[in-house]
Amino acid sequence: MTADTLAPEAVAVLDMGASAVRLVIAEVAAGRSIRVVEEASRGVLLGRDTFSGGVIRPKTADATFAALEGFRHIIDTYKVQRICAVATSAVREARNSELFLDRVRGRTGLAFDIINEAEESRLVYLAARDALRGHAALRGAWTLLVEVGGGSTSLMLLRRGRPNRSGVYALGAVRLRQVLDLRRHTHELQVALLKRSIANVVEEIAVSMPLERVTQVVAIGGDVRLAAAQILEQEDDDGVHEIPGEKFLAFCDEVERLDDDGLVNRFRLPVADAETLLPALLVYRALLAQTAARQIVVSDASLRAGMLLDLLQPGGRLGADDFEGQVLASAEAVGHRFRFDRAHGHHVAMLATRLFDDLRDEHGLSKRDRLLLQTASILHDVGIYVSLRAHHKHSQYLLAASQIFGLSDDETAVVSNIARYHRGRSPQQSHLPYVALDRGDRIRVTKLAAILRLANALDAEHLQKVRDLRLARGEASWVLEVDSAGDITMEQMAAKARTDLFTEVFGRQLVIRLAGGIP
Amino acid sequence: MTPAHPHDTSLFINRELSWLAFNERVLEEAVDSKTPLLERVKFAAIAASNLDEFFMVRVAGLQQAVEDGETSPDLSGLTPSQQLDAVRVRSQAFVAALYRLVTAELLPALASHGIRLLAYSDLNDSQRKALGAFFAEAVLPVLTPLAIDVSRPFPLLSSLSLNVAVLLGAAPAESDCRLAIVQVPAGLARLVRIAVADGAAFVPLEEIIRAHLPQLFPGQTILQSTMMRLARDAEMEFDDEGGRTQLELVERELKRRRRSDVVRLELEASSSPELVELIADQVAVTPADTFAVQGPIDLRVLMGLVELPGFQELRDSPLPPVDVLTGEQTDIFAILDDQDLLLHHPYECYDPVVALLAQAADDPDVLAIKQTLYRTSGGSALIASLQRAAERNKQVTVIVELTARFDEERNIRWARALEEAGAHVIYGVRGYKVHAKMCLIVKRTPQGLRRYVHLGTGNYNEKTARQYTDFGLLTTSQAIAEDASAFFSTLTGYSDPPRFKKLTMAPTGLRQRLLKLIDRERRRAAAGQEGEITAKVNSLIDDEIIEALYAASRAGVRIRLNVRGICALRPGVPGVSDHIEVVSVIDRFLEHSRIYYFFNGGDEDVYLASADWMTRNLDKRAELMFPIEQPEHKVKVLDALRAMFRDTEKSRWLQADGTYCRRTAHADEPRFRVQEALHEQARRTAAMARERTGVTFKPKSPRRLEGA
Repeated sequence: MTADTLAPEAVAVLDMGASAVRLVIAEVAAGRSIRVVEEASRGVLLGRDTFSGGVIRPKTADATFAALEGFRHIIDTYKVQRICAVATSAVREARNSELFLDRVRGRTGLAFDIINEAEESRLVYLAARDALRGHAALRGAWTLLVEVGGGSTSLMLLRRGRPNRSGVYALGAVRLRQVLDLRRHTHELQVALLKRSIANVVEEIAVSMPLERVTQVVAIGGDVRLAAAQILEQEDDDGVHEIPGEKFLAFCDEVERLDDDGLVNRFRLPVADAETLLPALLVYRALLAQTAARQIVVSDASLRAGMLLDLLQPGGRLGADDFEGQVLASAEAVGHRFRFDRAHGHHVAMLATRLFDDLRDEHGLSKRDRLLLQTASILHDVGIYVSLRAHHKHSQYLLAASQIFGLSDDETAVVSNIARYHRGRSPQQSHLPYVALDRGDRIRVTKLAAILRLANALDAEHLQKVRDLRLARGEASWVLEVDSAGDITMEQMAAKARTDLFTEVFGRQLVIRLAGGIP
Repeated sequence: MTPAHPHDTSLFINRELSWLAFNERVLEEAVDSKTPLLERVKFAAIAASNLDEFFMVRVAGLQQAVEDGETSPDLSGLTPSQQLDAVRVRSQAFVAALYRLVTAELLPALASHGIRLLAYSDLNDSQRKALGAFFAEAVLPVLTPLAIDVSRPFPLLSSLSLNVAVLLGAAPAESDCRLAIVQVPAGLARLVRIAVADGAAFVPLEEIIRAHLPQLFPGQTILQSTMMRLARDAEMEFDDEGGRTQLELVERELKRRRRSDVVRLELEASSSPELVELIADQVAVTPADTFAVQGPIDLRVLMGLVELPGFQELRDSPLPPVDVLTGEQTDIFAILDDQDLLLHHPYECYDPVVALLAQAADDPDVLAIKQTLYRTSGGSALIASLQRAAERNKQVTVIVELTARFDEERNIRWARALEEAGAHVIYGVRGYKVHAKMCLIVKRTPQGLRRYVHLGTGNYNEKTARQYTDFGLLTTSQAIAEDASAFFSTLTGYSDPPRFKKLTMAPTGLRQRLLKLIDRERRRAAAGQEGEITAKVNSLIDDEIIEALYAASRAGVRIRLNVRGICALRPGVPGVSDHIEVVSVIDRFLEHSRIYYFFNGGDEDVYLASADWMTRNLDKRAELMFPIEQPEHKVKVLDALRAMFRDTEKSRWLQADGTYCRRTAHADEPRFRVQEALHEQARRTAAMARERTGVTFKPKSPRRLEGA
């Protein structure tokens, strides 16, 4: 940021989705609201390529370059310096994504980051929370936030407004059309195929999320906004609109009866919009039917709005206190999926963070790393779900493949490696997931794993007997003082056996003392 | 064109006949002895020029349709050949009336005021001598007489050019007479002024040439001669294939046009049938499209007399545009930071628009200027500003409409100049004419980006801004600015059409929106509420819109339409359009603004637009409609709109039979001439504002123009 921090800064955010590339130019100023200056979008059917052939074809790539060159022109109108550009599932899942984005950068100077599903969810949530500030929909006991995009459907379950669980499912409007190869079938068969595949996924979702408890459904996405504008007979679809459930269902029925041409004529839609309307609405409807909600709240929140909010906050995603809670809630949800020992996980996390805090001067790591340690601690034992034997290795790949809301792919890799080293051998050059990390992350993993090993040992019996601890640097060693409730002989033995990595990392032997006594 | 659904053809007036009726109303102004003489002459010249355009575009289209064997009827149920027949009959009558007026009334009246158009036979010896010298010196060197025979085909005479056709005696050893053509040079002034004791006297250039024909054909017998003029098909046909740029397409099309089909031949009534046949045969024109006229060919020549300096007593008293900016306000950005400006031209002056562009070009904080240009005047200050801005490395984007009829060559020239200055010039949009009038300026301020938008109903043309009635809104509204940016990004192909916040654009939404707004009044009226639609457009010829208006009328909506030109809607038909009135105003200023008003249960909607209610405007052009939302601006627009229906002097009301009648005013009804009244109102408003700013302390931030 420049010295003149009061002047708003023009920024550009771009998102490359399954059916379009979109641009928002906005002015942001620290501590002030965001002012949108211009929005643009160009239909580019990246999803049609990726979800059918797995690669972005040259013709689609050229169309994307052309669209982005136009965006570049708009960006230059406002002399924008700060540009944030992300690509989602259609690029993420393409086998030639790296080469493609490299060419994008070469042609347009725009550097796109591929973001993972969790990051996408987080950004959409940021936008929804902002758009629905003060709205009853976010104050409900259980709220389901749904975004049906071109490539996937992003769900977030909110408990009294705070993220509880999230998941991203391969239920995108463009993806469904491609995967089911809808164009080959009659309209009636298309509807039947869509309904069947959507029902299958929704059934799966209902297993991991208590949808039946949901009383508020917040819907996000272009298709549902279009539906809202039609149902409410409004010209624009800005802001938040509440649609009674029966009106929404009636509209879905009307759309269901029309084929693509019928939709184009009835609602005067561009063909691309008409093609996604039905699949998207069927997803919303199937989810709504699983809940106890009587209405659907449609918000104009978007990924781009979330990106702008993210930019507005200095330091990006750091410092958002409530955000930590959201990561941990998501970790908790992952833990549940693998039937973890919740009490043990949380206790280890508590001990580990105490150690982390007392070692602050030593490890020089950030608050964000503390969160990664906490997450890894909660989930370090999930590998037991696969097998007790070598479960630390199972933990590694299970976590690497899990979506933990709010963590980037790199961070998820760090967490999975920390968990991997909670027992067993210390990091080796022969461990592939470890060497796949960059150097900074490898050091981070080693330091945090050293802490986790010790914290885990201190709850060796999974009985949470160590109530608290203090770590201080003694003359020639680290002195760990523990408060206990009961006999901790097992824990002491385990800890002594697991100080190898700790000593290696923090340079001194560890001495364990019982508070108020001698060991 | 046939509408998709069946309709009652008796409820529609034929477009071409409605246009001819419009031109007859223009002619009426020339006939009206209450109109000052030079204004009458001007209206006669305008009517003649309008008719030229009508033949080159509309009649040409009908001829082509007939030639192609098209038989599908139009909205009024007439086939192309039926229309062509009707048009020929009516335009022959029109031309006869026009020439009768000019030769029997206007020219003698002008002569009585000392303005004389002389024939060569009227001249005395010294005058003839002077013109002889002029001919030898200035005319003869640029003349190229063309004899026509088997080896030399009839020359490609360009459309609307004036020529002398000469019938020469047979050459020795031949039996047939020969035809020769002398083109009257377009580069020379048509009227040559000669010295007379009092007043102003002119001899037309073609008369001088004709008097010297023997010099051009030495040794040959000149049997007879006639002036002649061709009108050619000017319909533009674009071949979108082959990857040519729009610019190349237009250049190529212009070349093609010089050779296109002849749609009308005009020559002098005194020409012998033999000569007429000879020429008609050469240019392939039927007798029905041959006009033998009694008087000077090409009455646009009269414009030369109208433009004579002086003779104020023969003209309308001047109504100079009122300056709306009071006090020492010169910084147009600062003014607009405080308030939006709604300008009504030509009653209020166009200077703020010119000033905005000029200031934007020079302001280092201005980042970008985006602008549509449809028809603009030569040597325009607006273009000079855009050029300067581009030279100063601002991002200048100009969407130039090259297919604006008859102005193409001029457009290409300044478009090239802008491009050379570094502006990003976009030569129109494939498939659509960009008719919307908008200018967007992006400026950096300490508080962030600020955008200044001008939206208008008329073209960016300082000259016509003094002659056409148009509204223009200058605003910094965030919502409109956002829409304006999106509009330009859409037209430049950088974005797909957006969902607009305030603006409505054709071809993507205007038709649907208008139909919805009309239908909303219908539904309100059907539910027993009051319903009212008042609109002002130049033309109304869209079947969907007309049907919607009929439906609204049937439901009891009061509909008042001010349609200057073509109107295919038939008002006052029992059970169909009882509640619809249509008035046309033809006066000194060309009525041009488009205003749409909907009562909306008292929550009134007022819109201004670039679009007429024509199918082509709603479907084939990029047009914009914008809301007028500030209460005092609404009042200003509505006052002007409603005043159109109070006119007692220059308005004609369309009858159910398709004819237009002047309203029979009540004996005690005060005379009301709407254009004069609006000017007077503008003058008074400005005077009041000036007075107030004069006597009171000027607040730092005056919010509104007072008294509007």
